[in-house]
Amino acid sequence: MDKLFVVIKREFMERIRNKWFLIMTLLMPAIMAGMILLPAYMAIKSSGSDSVNRIIIIDASGAGLGQSILSNLKLDSAGARLGDSLAPVKPDLRVVTLAELKAAEDKALAEVTKPHSYAGYLSVTDTTLSTGRARYAGRNASSIADLSRLEGALGRSVMTVRLGNEGVKPEVIAQVSKIRADISAERISEKGKSGSAAAAIGVGFFLAFMLYMSIMLHGQNVLRGVLEEKMTRVAEVVLASVKPDILLAGKVLGVGAVGLAQQIAWFALSAMVVYFFLPFITHGMMSAKPLADTAAVAAASGAAPPTSMTALGLFTIPLAVTILGFFLTGFMFYASLFAAAGSMVNSEQEAQQAAMPVIMLLVVTIIFLNPIMMNSNGTLATTLSWLPFSSPIVMPMRMAMGGVPMTSVIGSWIVSALGCAAAIWLAARIYRVGMLMYGNKPSMGELVKWIRYAG
Amino acid sequence: MPNAIDIQHIGKAYDAHVAVRDLSLQVPEGSVYGLLGPNGAGKTTTIRMILDIIRPDKGTISLFGRPSTDPSVRDVVGYLPEERGLYKKMQVRRMLMFLAELKGVKAADASRRIDDWLARFSLTGGDRDWGLAKVDELSRGMQQKVQFIATLLHEPNLVILDEPFSGLDPINAQALKDAVIELRSRGKTVIFSTHVIENAERMCDAVCIIANGEKVLDGPVATVKQQHGSHNVAVSLADARPDYAAIFSDTKLVTKVDNQNRFFECELVPGADSQELLRRLVQAGASIERFELIQPSLHQIFIQRVGANNIEKGMSGHG
Repeated sequence: MDKLFVVIKREFMERIRNKWFLIMTLLMPAIMAGMILLPAYMAIKSSGSDSVNRIIIIDASGAGLGQSILSNLKLDSAGARLGDSLAPVKPDLRVVTLAELKAAEDKALAEVTKPHSYAGYLSVTDTTLSTGRARYAGRNASSIADLSRLEGALGRSVMTVRLGNEGVKPEVIAQVSKIRADISAERISEKGKSGSAAAAIGVGFFLAFMLYMSIMLHGQNVLRGVLEEKMTRVAEVVLASVKPDILLAGKVLGVGAVGLAQQIAWFALSAMVVYFFLPFITHGMMSAKPLADTAAVAAASGAAPPTSMTALGLFTIPLAVTILGFFLTGFMFYASLFAAAGSMVNSEQEAQQAAMPVIMLLVVTIIFLNPIMMNSNGTLATTLSWLPFSSPIVMPMRMAMGGVPMTSVIGSWIVSALGCAAAIWLAARIYRVGMLMYGNKPSMGELVKWIRYAG
Repeated sequence: MPNAIDIQHIGKAYDAHVAVRDLSLQVPEGSVYGLLGPNGAGKTTTIRMILDIIRPDKGTISLFGRPSTDPSVRDVVGYLPEERGLYKKMQVRRMLMFLAELKGVKAADASRRIDDWLARFSLTGGDRDWGLAKVDELSRGMQQKVQFIATLLHEPNLVILDEPFSGLDPINAQALKDAVIELRSRGKTVIFSTHVIENAERMCDAVCIIANGEKVLDGPVATVKQQHGSHNVAVSLADARPDYAAIFSDTKLVTKVDNQNRFFECELVPGADSQELLRRLVQAGASIERFELIQPSLHQIFIQRVGANNIEKGMSGHG
């Protein structure tokens, strides 16, 4: 056991001494925080873009629809949302007859194509009033946020005008049109209501991705480490001192310890960065709340800043223990297989090929993350939670998203641990023979023979 | 003398290829032992089995009376593999420390010994302390020194060197020879494999020649030579007299003689004592300038035996 410790110590110390390790450990949280904060920040920025305020509205409805759109746009403009009048709202309203529509559109087109002028033009006709259909052409036609703002304003305007035509009082219409639907979704777990659903999905995805990243990254480190020892022939010197099982275990555990240390450092640093910048972001986000798709964009990009507070609250002790438990089994499962792949070959290129089946197992798991996120308790999610190669990534995610009984989590971990033990057994047998074999990459048949060698 | 290594009937096969078949040999404690054989004879496989890096299919190996699979026995063995290998990106001192700790040496002891060894091989004390450099900054020669230090750092009682002279420049080769002789003088056992027979002939107390995974012969170098001596004697005399020549004509003693007046080269009767020839010459009053038993070199024996062995192999249906 002393010798195992010596091997682990070397693996750990040599890796954390590496300057790239230090750079990655410090830089990654900044990148992670950027990945979380930047989209949210961009969402606010783009929703507050004044493109929509610089359009031409061509009104051929003959019913004052254009005027209504204008006032609705002013209502939800960035300036209006922030409660000040900073953003100048200058949509250009042109009321025309149906006959003049074509000429007005041509003129507007010419104006939009000039630089630093209008962003686009929206033309509405009397059919807009009955069908809600209108045409927009502009440089920002691909901006989902802008179009959704226009559609919102148009929809409300059509309603305003038609309600007016039906004789509803203007004050009622004004009040009704100010109402914005905003569903705040809460997730229900065994302990009752807790936190928001968006936060749960965000945290779940974040966890799955972090687990995948670290298993892939450090698993490949094990592969490279094994290959280095084989190619430089250091292995033979070391194997004269310790049994191959100890060298293999020391490598996997040493690299695993580095991975764990890095994960903890990343998580702590990311949390600090998010906490530090959160007030700046939430200030903008709170007032931007009416825009449903801003929240959607932010949620898709990870943990949405408004939910970040609740997101951190989701990291309960049982979840932390689950993450740790699954990281251990998951990492050892993949790291052993990566080590076996490394011991079979004699060059980086061959190693890539040999590692392919192992990488595929990881990638398959990641491909299924999206469908699982949509339905975290469906058949796919349940099945993948009970397969040793995918459960270490899928189960912590599902647990964070809620609704998974603790017995299932424990059961799935036990299966994962058994899978891990099987992988270690298999890898140790391949490794023992592979480390001393130079020459061609073994065929499947030869591999089976290696596994069968007793000694 | 007890045996440092006692190998009994080991064998190892990989698929169709038999690396070692039924090999037995004993290495006496405190001796320098040479494992000789052509490439692919099974030397490295044998060494790996002694070190328990691989397990023999059959047979037993014991080191200092303990089975080679006993984990504690690894700590008293030092090994220099044929293919030298060090962690390229590791600092020299840290790597030596790692290898010493793997052999159970305490960090404080290891640190002191590393200082001594680095100084002794002039890796420190010059314009640069190479102990603090990374392995891949070292020249090839320096890396070989570091590898050799790693082999001896834990003061092993048994040192196993696989092809130690391959790739060494003459200066390092001489340093290695000195080191081996010094190890022997301190009572350590050294076993090395080589296909450079001249080195073995000068340094080894005993040798074992293997070919095709089988022992061809083994034993103390003197005995091996005696067994393979063709009993040739070369004699130079100060003056030529007929009674001297008569001695060489005695067919009880000599089978063949090349009489060149003052110089005789003769082949003795099998089993005859060369000293008997010398005694009779002295009794006859001859003034002897030179009396030499012409022994075949280990190299000649090697060629003769391994060559013959291979031919036998070829005739026994293996070809």
